[in-house]
Amino acid sequence: MEKPEKLIVDGKRLDGRGPEELRPLKIQAGALKRADGSAYVELGANKVLAAVYGPRELHPRHMQQPDTAVLRCRYNMAPFSVEERKRPGPDRRSVEISKVIREALEPVVFTKLYPRSGIDVFVEVLQADAGTRTAGITAAAVALADAGVPMRDLVSAVAVGKVDDTIVLDLTKEEDQFGTTDMPVAMLPRKRVITLLQMDGSFIEEEFERALALAMKGCEQIYEAQKQALKARYSIKPEEG
Amino acid sequence: MYEIISSVKRDYIADLARQEKRADARALDQYREVSVETGLIKSAQGSALVKIGNTQVLAGVKLERVEPFPDTPNSGVLMVNAELRPLASPTFEAGPPDENSIELARVVDRGIRESESIDLDKLGITPGKEVWAVYIDLHVLDYDGNLIDAASLAAIAALWNVKKPQVEGWTLDEFPVLKKPVAVTVVKIGEKLMVDPSLDEENVMDARLTISTLEDGSICAMQKGGVWCLTVEEIKAAYGLARAKAAELREHLK
Amino acid sequence: MLHAQNRELVVPGQLIAEGGYSIHEGVFREGSSIYSSVVGLVDVRGHDISVIPLRSRYVPRRGDVVIGVVVDTHASGWILDLNSPYDGNLFVSNLLQRKVDLSREDISQYLGVGDVVVVEIMDVDERMRVLLEASGPGMGRITSGKLVEITPAKIPRVIGKKGSMLATLQNTSGCKLRVGRNGRIMVWGEDTHMVNAVVEALLMIEREAHLSGLTDRVHQFLEKMKSGGE
Repeated sequence: MEKPEKLIVDGKRLDGRGPEELRPLKIQAGALKRADGSAYVELGANKVLAAVYGPRELHPRHMQQPDTAVLRCRYNMAPFSVEERKRPGPDRRSVEISKVIREALEPVVFTKLYPRSGIDVFVEVLQADAGTRTAGITAAAVALADAGVPMRDLVSAVAVGKVDDTIVLDLTKEEDQFGTTDMPVAMLPRKRVITLLQMDGSFIEEEFERALALAMKGCEQIYEAQKQALKARYSIKPEEG
Repeated sequence: MYEIISSVKRDYIADLARQEKRADARALDQYREVSVETGLIKSAQGSALVKIGNTQVLAGVKLERVEPFPDTPNSGVLMVNAELRPLASPTFEAGPPDENSIELARVVDRGIRESESIDLDKLGITPGKEVWAVYIDLHVLDYDGNLIDAASLAAIAALWNVKKPQVEGWTLDEFPVLKKPVAVTVVKIGEKLMVDPSLDEENVMDARLTISTLEDGSICAMQKGGVWCLTVEEIKAAYGLARAKAAELREHLK
Repeated sequence: MLHAQNRELVVPGQLIAEGGYSIHEGVFREGSSIYSSVVGLVDVRGHDISVIPLRSRYVPRRGDVVIGVVVDTHASGWILDLNSPYDGNLFVSNLLQRKVDLSREDISQYLGVGDVVVVEIMDVDERMRVLLEASGPGMGRITSGKLVEITPAKIPRVIGKKGSMLATLQNTSGCKLRVGRNGRIMVWGEDTHMVNAVVEALLMIEREAHLSGLTDRVHQFLEKMKSGGE
């Protein structure tokens, strides 16, 4: 990819969005048959699947906790999901992302209801265009709810950043690569508390505050779409007899 | 982890098979609903999502410049990789490829390689230095039986979807894919043969035979699986089924 | 004060009510506010609030009748998968309801891996170790029939008010059913066509459990299947 001269022209981003606009978002609850719960998220060019299995018996046994379920997450990119083919299997990046996704989700799960069991969350990126970990969290929260896992709240996530000295919501790959700053954020919508916050690049204090507020605004929009997806899944009409 | 097959389920499926029936009311030579959707992954040069019933396999083709093998200095390289992602089944585990995913990749690879479906000789760049590698990555998303047929169909559909690849250094006009090999898996339960096994049928089957055929009905690859045996008559019958069903499946590649 | 209507479809974290209600399944309290913890239907009865989940995992409770599948054997009994995060332990004496001299009797004649068994949950300890027995009528090993699995959340709907749905299923189809709390159901019948129709009807109940008029639709569906319809 070559660096464009400017990423923001006349207040518009290269894909035509304003700085505070999300890319087109589609969420489907219950995308897979075998999983106990699942969800599919498209955010711009990102295509992400999440599947939940469990609570189920946890192996190896020594991982079992006597008083709580263990939440496990695995984030994986398909080899064809990115420009240059990604070598299959876990790498350092996916191990770290798996960990932060788990930590973003864990606060909402009533793990104490299922002692000694395991809840597995699999996030699978099929096509990537920046913001896959946040799209993964958004999908995973819907998949957990779809699986019937008791939760205090959903988790909604999106990235913000700084591009051409402008704070923008939901960066594309181009903006992530050539912009100054990328900051993925996950929020519990009911309490408006943050469960994932990472950043690389540079922000001054004022920028950081604006960026965080913008991220939370973005999360609210995502939360609405998550709720709609879960309700749509079960708002079915009886089959005509 | 393993799938527990209760004895009543096993007996039920075997009893039905004896009466030439199936638990989902299909005929023995009937596939579940098949769909092929191509071009949905923009980061790949070719892609296809194949659904057979609830089973879903996504194939992505990536083209990259690599060093050639010493014995074929001016021929392209074909690589097929399959991943049984743990999101696709409670029985799949994360980690390096196991024997099932390796078998799956190799069966799909042979169907394409042995039929010479890709003209690898056209994929040289600089003799002895650089050639095109065709990576076919098979991503199993939902496993409800018959992965081999779904993965094979996804692979060939993704190859035909490459057309004019948007990749730096590409000088050929069209991607040189020539043929349409199609794999059909026949399983034997008791004395009966049936196509497109569901997960339950796969779990109780005695044996399995996958036959990849071309448009002219010729066989380009075969793979037998399962712990029991097949008679010559059964193999011949399976070949007949495979030809007929491959013609049906090939309709989805148009 | 209620913030959601009775029978409304809610999602985790959604505010259901504030004030002094008693809370049950599918809800939790923070301060005076009551929230849903699952995707489900709000159920308000007087001062009692719950959310009936649309999907759930089965957690063993003493007294439940469940259908298990043998996954392992040990010196004095078997380990059963209960379609739950927790396996159950069935000792041979609790299967046969008598003392068994293990040095004299080969217990592998009674059960093996893959066998389906109707059992009752005898006890669950704080470490979720589950003890099983097969004492009631019709309990023990099952050797024929069709095993169906649905989400355990929908089992109350399969039984229905005072057993009404189960009666409809059995009387209309002529099949016999055994319903396990853990989401497993056995169906027996002379006619494969009607067995399959009952399986269809069970999946219909799983899909449409939250819609009204379901018993009538199940009845109509089975009548149609009986008269040879598709």
